[in-house]
Amino acid sequence: MNPKKVLIAVDASENALRAVEYTGEIVGNSEEFHIELLTIERFPDRDLFATDEEWKEKCAEHQQAFMDFLAKARQILINRGVLEDNIFERYIVSCKSPLRTPPLACSIGTNIAQEIMNIIKDEEFGTVVIGRRGVSKEVEFLFGSVSTKIVHYAKGCTVWVVS
Amino acid sequence: MAQEVRDLVKRYYPDFPIRHCGKIYRDTTEFMNISYGDVIFIDGLHYMVLRDEVERRFGIEDPKYWVKRCRLLETGERKIVKLVFYEEFQMKLGHTEILCHRSPQKEARILDLVRGDMRFMQGVSFQDDVDNNMRVLDLIRGRSLDHEVYGIEQDHETYFRESFPVILEKFIGASEAIGFLHSHGEKHGDVRRDHIWVESKTKKYRWIDFDYTYDFYQNPFALDLFGLGNILVFIVGKVDCTVGTMSEMGFTKDDIGKLSPDDFSIIFQHRLVNLRKIYPYIPEKLNNVMLHFSLGSDVYYDTVDEMLDDLRPCLDILGD
Repeated sequence: MNPKKVLIAVDASENALRAVEYTGEIVGNSEEFHIELLTIERFPDRDLFATDEEWKEKCAEHQQAFMDFLAKARQILINRGVLEDNIFERYIVSCKSPLRTPPLACSIGTNIAQEIMNIIKDEEFGTVVIGRRGVSKEVEFLFGSVSTKIVHYAKGCTVWVVS
Repeated sequence: MAQEVRDLVKRYYPDFPIRHCGKIYRDTTEFMNISYGDVIFIDGLHYMVLRDEVERRFGIEDPKYWVKRCRLLETGERKIVKLVFYEEFQMKLGHTEILCHRSPQKEARILDLVRGDMRFMQGVSFQDDVDNNMRVLDLIRGRSLDHEVYGIEQDHETYFRESFPVILEKFIGASEAIGFLHSHGEKHGDVRRDHIWVESKTKKYRWIDFDYTYDFYQNPFALDLFGLGNILVFIVGKVDCTVGTMSEMGFTKDDIGKLSPDDFSIIFQHRLVNLRKIYPYIPEKLNNVMLHFSLGSDVYYDTVDEMLDDLRPCLDILGD
């Protein structure tokens, strides 16, 4: 594993923003780093909407928020001195997306932590960075905590949890 | 319209009092107006409404006006017809509020998925004249799991040693059924002990009511798993053990004083989960499964299979 091959798992949240900022501060303008911003698309269930149109509209809003976030995250890294050529973005489409035909490598969405772990293992990332919400046990139980699961299950890599 | 209903009644249901004959509905949008004596026309058949269904919880009757108990006039069978009601409400779970919805489409989809699988209620969905989704459900004769358990007149230890092993085995089967839904990307949405119906004749456990859904895409099956944990704790304890019910059951202040907040449910923090502390004959292995749903736990089940992997071996040690 190469510790300088870094995966930052982000959604469009404040916690993810902190993870990006922290990584930028640590990495700075070091040439040897490969920084990859990973977003896994997650949409609300179709069942929550009366019509397909309402659902698609909401999904499009979510998708735009993810895209905007990736652009913002890239800029934050650049502003902290990270070399542009060392920053990569990956957007994994939800298998349930109503906005386009999902590619073969799409996200089932039921275990985001496992999907992140698979990428780390398959592509030999040495460091994974993730923001933590800092929530109560009750909320963690109900909503799940990607960061907790990654801390529990990660093997052969370093995990930076930014809270 | 009334004449049409009278003609149907004369032909198929002559014992029905003619004066109560109502209207025929092909558009069910205004379900509040559809009541006793009215007939819902679905896919060429006539369903006479006998009453609105009622949910009984905590001693209170809650009428469900969009759910009609009916008689299918052509065959005389009893059916339940669920009409469209796009309810949206905040459900409070402990300190957390979750936005819940009713989704007729979800229930219709699950009915298709579980057709012929008697671990679930059975039914078919249709569209009315204005595309409202109606679900026609077979009636399950029996009573809910909580009533079944409350009806067992045994002290806790006798219950646990004699009745509980069979209940646990059936609960494992019911949990596998929820796992089946999850493996198909579906959630039940309202896993509660009164949504397991125990069929009178066969004593089989059957899940009912799949129309709830919630905005929970980060952890879509967590609420179903939490519901299963709640049911497990209930069937082990025979009642909900709270400080209040424990006092009524004769536990002393000393007994209750030995309990800590970590022994109670992670969400319903008045409900005791660490039941081995008051019933020491509960095997540790079984107690450990329940502790995954306690405030003291740092490890939670992610899937039904994970829970069942721990729970199935408990069957072998019960009665030791």
